[in-house]
Amino acid sequence: MSVLPPHNTAPARHGPATAVRDALPAALWAALAVAPHGRSASDAALQALAVWALQFTPRVTIAEEAVLLEVAASLRLFGGTAALRERLWPGAQELGATALAWAPNALAALALARAGVEDGLRAPLATRLDPLPLGVLSALRPHGQTLSHIGCRTLGDVRRLPRSGLARRFDAALLRALDQAYGHAPQTHEWVALPERFEARLELPHRVDDARALVFGARRLLLQLAAWLAARQQGATAFTLHWAHDALRSRGAGEGGQLTVRTAEPTRAVEHLSRLLAEHLVRVALAAPVGDLRLTADAVHSLPQRSDSWLPDEARGQEPLAQVLERLSARLGAERVLRPRLCADHRPEHAARWQPVGEPLQPGARAVPPPAWPQPALLLAQPQRLPVHQHRPHHHGELQLLLGPHRIESGWWDRGSADAGRASPGASGEAQNTAVAHAAARMGKAADAPLERQGGHAQCPPGPSGCTRHAVRDYWVARSARAGLLWVFQTRLADEPAWYLHGHFA
Amino acid sequence: MQPLFRRSVASEAPTVPVSEASAAAPAGPVALPPAVAAAVWRGDALGRPVGTTWPSGFDALDAVLPGGGWPGGALTELLLAQAGTLEFRLAGPLLGRIAAGGARVVLVGPPRPPHAPGLLPHGIPPDALVWVRADTVAERLWATEQLLKAGSCGAVLAWLPQARPEQVRRLQVHAAASAAPALLCRPAVAAHEPSAAPLRLLVQAGPGWALQVQVLKRKGPPLAQALTLSAPPAGLPAVWPARLAEAGRPVADRPVAGRPVVTVPGEAVPAVVRAEVAEYRPTVPVH
Repeated sequence: MSVLPPHNTAPARHGPATAVRDALPAALWAALAVAPHGRSASDAALQALAVWALQFTPRVTIAEEAVLLEVAASLRLFGGTAALRERLWPGAQELGATALAWAPNALAALALARAGVEDGLRAPLATRLDPLPLGVLSALRPHGQTLSHIGCRTLGDVRRLPRSGLARRFDAALLRALDQAYGHAPQTHEWVALPERFEARLELPHRVDDARALVFGARRLLLQLAAWLAARQQGATAFTLHWAHDALRSRGAGEGGQLTVRTAEPTRAVEHLSRLLAEHLVRVALAAPVGDLRLTADAVHSLPQRSDSWLPDEARGQEPLAQVLERLSARLGAERVLRPRLCADHRPEHAARWQPVGEPLQPGARAVPPPAWPQPALLLAQPQRLPVHQHRPHHHGELQLLLGPHRIESGWWDRGSADAGRASPGASGEAQNTAVAHAAARMGKAADAPLERQGGHAQCPPGPSGCTRHAVRDYWVARSARAGLLWVFQTRLADEPAWYLHGHFA
Repeated sequence: MQPLFRRSVASEAPTVPVSEASAAAPAGPVALPPAVAAAVWRGDALGRPVGTTWPSGFDALDAVLPGGGWPGGALTELLLAQAGTLEFRLAGPLLGRIAAGGARVVLVGPPRPPHAPGLLPHGIPPDALVWVRADTVAERLWATEQLLKAGSCGAVLAWLPQARPEQVRRLQVHAAASAAPALLCRPAVAAHEPSAAPLRLLVQAGPGWALQVQVLKRKGPPLAQALTLSAPPAGLPAVWPARLAEAGRPVADRPVAGRPVVTVPGEAVPAVVRAEVAEYRPTVPVH
């Protein structure tokens, strides 16, 4: 509870509209009426609008069917009344506000909003309030009939009556409300406090059968979430949309469902969050029509504000790449938007591991030296066996071997059942360099060498120890007349040497 | 200077940007005011790109491209007989330059998985690489469109084996909003279809290490003859022996089947070992 001083002076004394504009009043109130005059508004709608309005100013109060904001201190931050109105009014409309009014004090703003007059600043306040009907001030309503009988139809009529007579014939609340509205008496307000946990509920106006249509309802909740985060200087990394099924549901449908959306970076951009939610909702099948939505913020982190720059920003208007990739991941699946991580392994298929873009790199990932030998830009997922005619490999014609051989012998420690890219003990120590990259000609000496299967991709040594991904290969750069430059290898130590295509120097 | 002579100079030198050409030679019967002349693109001169351009790394190619390089904020079509055979040899210098600037390169639907160590010699570090595994045509188009619309990635390289002209036009509209170069890899048969891309190149493997690039469409006069660019795979010239660089040239004398010649890096393999290799692979036709 706090008391604001009366601030009638500024508009009243400056008179002309231009002067009022130049010297803004010490206090500036905006009233957002949620329901038309005379009807009561639901507490939930008022509370939602109040929480949303907290992003503009910490001084927000609820008066009957309207939310009142004291925004004088926020004007400079938001760039003036016009800019503030541009941000305030469309968002408030989405949350159900029906009227907006500006005035130098709260009661006047409320009265103007009820009367449908938006601007109470341009002219002196008294000339704005005088023509309003009596009903706009709640304190005058009980005496409405009496006042009309003595010929008072507007606030101005009542104000012109002698004060002493008014005080004697009517209660004190009437005079006090008049004084407060005209700025001659202070007002007290109870400010709306920000809830510690965010939870917003919305009853849908009609039953929704399609999960994709939930986005439109959820957007209202996301607006509140964004405002709640803005008031707390935070961003969300996870939020959950709960939906409750309509009462007229089949027995097996259950109570409802929920969907948790996570983002890589804390954000409170409504557009991004709603698009992300839409991508996730596409894959949701509703068991029954939905009548009720609830949104909770699961993980919030502080989001430092970036200072605005004087210089024109090149990236203005662009969506950050992380957000785009997040959207792509949401639709295509996280396992299909990937980034590489190099691994210290001489086998090409294990030299890089692809992980989802959103996942952070493992802290233990070390800098891997680039390969000393040229490697192709595109690698086949599985080596492709090449036909051999007259002891020559063919791929769209006979291959011409240009450079090689580059011998790779590695992976004897790697069990086939293990994770394909897992860093193994042998690979973690550079000293145990088991890959041999040399063009040696020692072939066929090792009679007890493990037999090669699957094109040198996996080897099964004789014995009960199981398969390993031991690779013993000689790589060559080859040229095909039609397929361009290829990376082929010949298996060694096998019963029958075979040629495989493994990559394209695209 | 005779006006006739000036005009012939302007038409013979298509590499002169239009501003210079019009400043040097106010060709035509009416001398336009400078402001108008700058806005008028004469059909016989190279147009000026709307956005920025990136050098392609090939001088011969830069000379015939409007603005002297790959255009940003516009689609560039690479028409290839077979996808996944020549793309990085041609566009690698561009992608490396973009990655060096700290931006990320997004590959949409490459025909085969990209190999991150193999892209290192192009100058594309793993941090700058994103692989979008979009399989269907609709997914590829959607992903490419989203990336172009956002305009925050360094470059988009998308493989679109099947794309209709109106879909390419849609991508071009979105590409115009961003500053990044967008390369579409399409099959060579698409050369017969109309396309909204302002730059279309038909790329073929040439003799040796060369690439044959034919400029099918550009903002400027048509280019009749194909360009021959020497484009060995990145990283290969650092390790190959001198004779292999020559081997990139048209090979006139192929080795006789009975006498194989092994091409190996000279410093890595002593001659004795080389002979042994030859001994052990009597049947392998090498070079």
